[in-house]
Amino acid sequence: MARITLENVKKSFGKVQALDGVSLDIKDKEFFVLFGPAGAGKTTILNNIAGIQVPEEGIVKFDGEIVNLVDAAHRDTAMVFENYALYPQMTVYDNMASALRSKLYKKDEDYIQKRVHEIAKMMNMDHLLERLPSQLSNGQKQRVAMGRALVRMPKVYLMDEPLAHLDAKLRNAMRTELKSIQAQFGTTSVYVTHDFMEALSLADRIAVINEGKVVQIGTGDAIYDLPVNEFVATLMGDPEINVIPGRIEKTETGYRFSMQGSGKSNDLPEDKDLFAKFEALGVEKVDLALRPQHLVYSFDPVPGYLHCTVYSYESIGNKSVIVADHEGLQLRLIAPNGLRVKIDQDVYVDTKLNYSLFFDYETKEFLARYNEAEIRKIAEPEEEEG
Amino acid sequence: MKTGPKTGTKVLLNILLLIYSIFALFPLIWMVILSFKSDAQMYNTLFVFTPTLENYRIVLFTTDYPKYLLDSLIVSGFAVIVSVVVGVPAAYALARYDFKKKEDIAFQILSFKFAPEILVVLPLFMIYQKLHIYDTYFGLIWVYQLISMPLLIWVVRGYFEDISVEIEYAAQVDGYTWYQIFFKNLIPLIKPGLVSAALLAFIFAWNEFTFPLLLAGTNVQPITVAITKFLGTDTAHYGQLAVAAVVSALPAIIFALCIQKHLVRGLSFGAVKG
Repeated sequence: MARITLENVKKSFGKVQALDGVSLDIKDKEFFVLFGPAGAGKTTILNNIAGIQVPEEGIVKFDGEIVNLVDAAHRDTAMVFENYALYPQMTVYDNMASALRSKLYKKDEDYIQKRVHEIAKMMNMDHLLERLPSQLSNGQKQRVAMGRALVRMPKVYLMDEPLAHLDAKLRNAMRTELKSIQAQFGTTSVYVTHDFMEALSLADRIAVINEGKVVQIGTGDAIYDLPVNEFVATLMGDPEINVIPGRIEKTETGYRFSMQGSGKSNDLPEDKDLFAKFEALGVEKVDLALRPQHLVYSFDPVPGYLHCTVYSYESIGNKSVIVADHEGLQLRLIAPNGLRVKIDQDVYVDTKLNYSLFFDYETKEFLARYNEAEIRKIAEPEEEEG
Repeated sequence: MKTGPKTGTKVLLNILLLIYSIFALFPLIWMVILSFKSDAQMYNTLFVFTPTLENYRIVLFTTDYPKYLLDSLIVSGFAVIVSVVVGVPAAYALARYDFKKKEDIAFQILSFKFAPEILVVLPLFMIYQKLHIYDTYFGLIWVYQLISMPLLIWVVRGYFEDISVEIEYAAQVDGYTWYQIFFKNLIPLIKPGLVSAALLAFIFAWNEFTFPLLLAGTNVQPITVAITKFLGTDTAHYGQLAVAAVVSALPAIIFALCIQKHLVRGLSFGAVKG
């Protein structure tokens, strides 16, 4: 159990700046998720916490103590590697017992046996214990890799995409299991993923990483509802958020949003705080962003709706996704499944503007959104302690 | 469903293999036959003769032959041991660490095997005279590194490269020191490659002729050089010569047969596939 602090950590590999001044403060007992696209530097952050790599600049602290010079063996972390990193010459049992047999974390064989069986049972793999890693499927290997970490009681669990290679059913089950294990053990956990569902469902807090930098840190709600820029907004959510470029103009009663090109313009619904913010910022060109669930559509002409054509239609089980095209601007919207939709048929789309987020057109930074104060209150709970 | 080549093709292939095996094995068989012939029957019989063990008795009990055999064992054996002790860490470094001119160094090591021995042996002879290591075990073991080390380093390096570095990281996180990781996790994984490369290096060292011929004299005399003694200035005792050759070939053949499976697998498969 530990609080882990990274201060301005920098790491480069040759000419590639893998980490460019990363600062994180991971609280004790927190389930902390590192989320970002491939190659963002998430694994490098984990390696720096584990002590496998040492930062070129910056400080790594465990419970306030600087551990930059402590080697990986003495940091007391347990890590799940993305490529499993199982010892090929050892059975699953010996793999899992490995750490408990090392000089540093030595336990007696009775304890090891009890503990390994307990974890194996929990992970539903007690029938695999006598096998060699080469006799396992990828999903089984991944479970063994998880199990090897879980048999220990380290200061922190470091998990690098531990569920990536499991089948969907097992992944969901393991997600739930992981959450309860973490709650039960109360061990600080740092978890790397590129799956936003995993990030949102597991995390106490999420750090969005891109190109070696921390883009945003916050609760799942904060990241989802109050993204700091368009990049974060597009990463979270599937189908992706709709971004509609346009301009806002002040009218007598409020503000008016006009889509770029030949799109239509609408009066924005009243929101005093929002309008005050627009007034203060004085921006004109904005990107209006709306989640797919906040678009409505009709296949029959409705006055005031935007005329589009169907670009693609995918049924994904409990719902379907329609991509509607308006002069090159593609809008993703959610529809019930079982529709008979033809490509290129007409579809009329309207926006629930009172859910919109606004980003700066040039910098793509977050400007404002509807109900900001209220959402902020939910998404950013008061710090319990200092 | 086709399960393999047609019968006609199979027969043809087998005939070809048979012809090749006769071609390859005949000199050996001829050598064995010669070793059982007496000098009198040497030139006037082919396959029908009175077999005799006289040649064996002379070579094994009346000459220094066993001493030469021992010399060969000592020189080749220690040459391989030195190669393993020095080569495995070198291979690890070449596989894992990034340093300047890494590939150049690796290639340089390999290039020791390119140069014909006869090309370098003269300067080596001068150097050995000056260093007073001419005709010593140490001198031969040292020069044999040119033969055994490059092979060992290159094979073992490939094995180290096949082991994902995360396995080492995982062991570090598990609380093991580098030495423990190296001996408990890495050595077992490179063992097939290490064993086969070491045995192959042993066979190469055993068969070496040029270096011991020119860099050793009377004190140390490996079998390959000693055999030439049976070619007298006046008469050639072909029977004894054949015996010496047969006996000297035995260790290499025995080793090769023992590790045959291992050799092919070890040199062609990676360590941690699957």
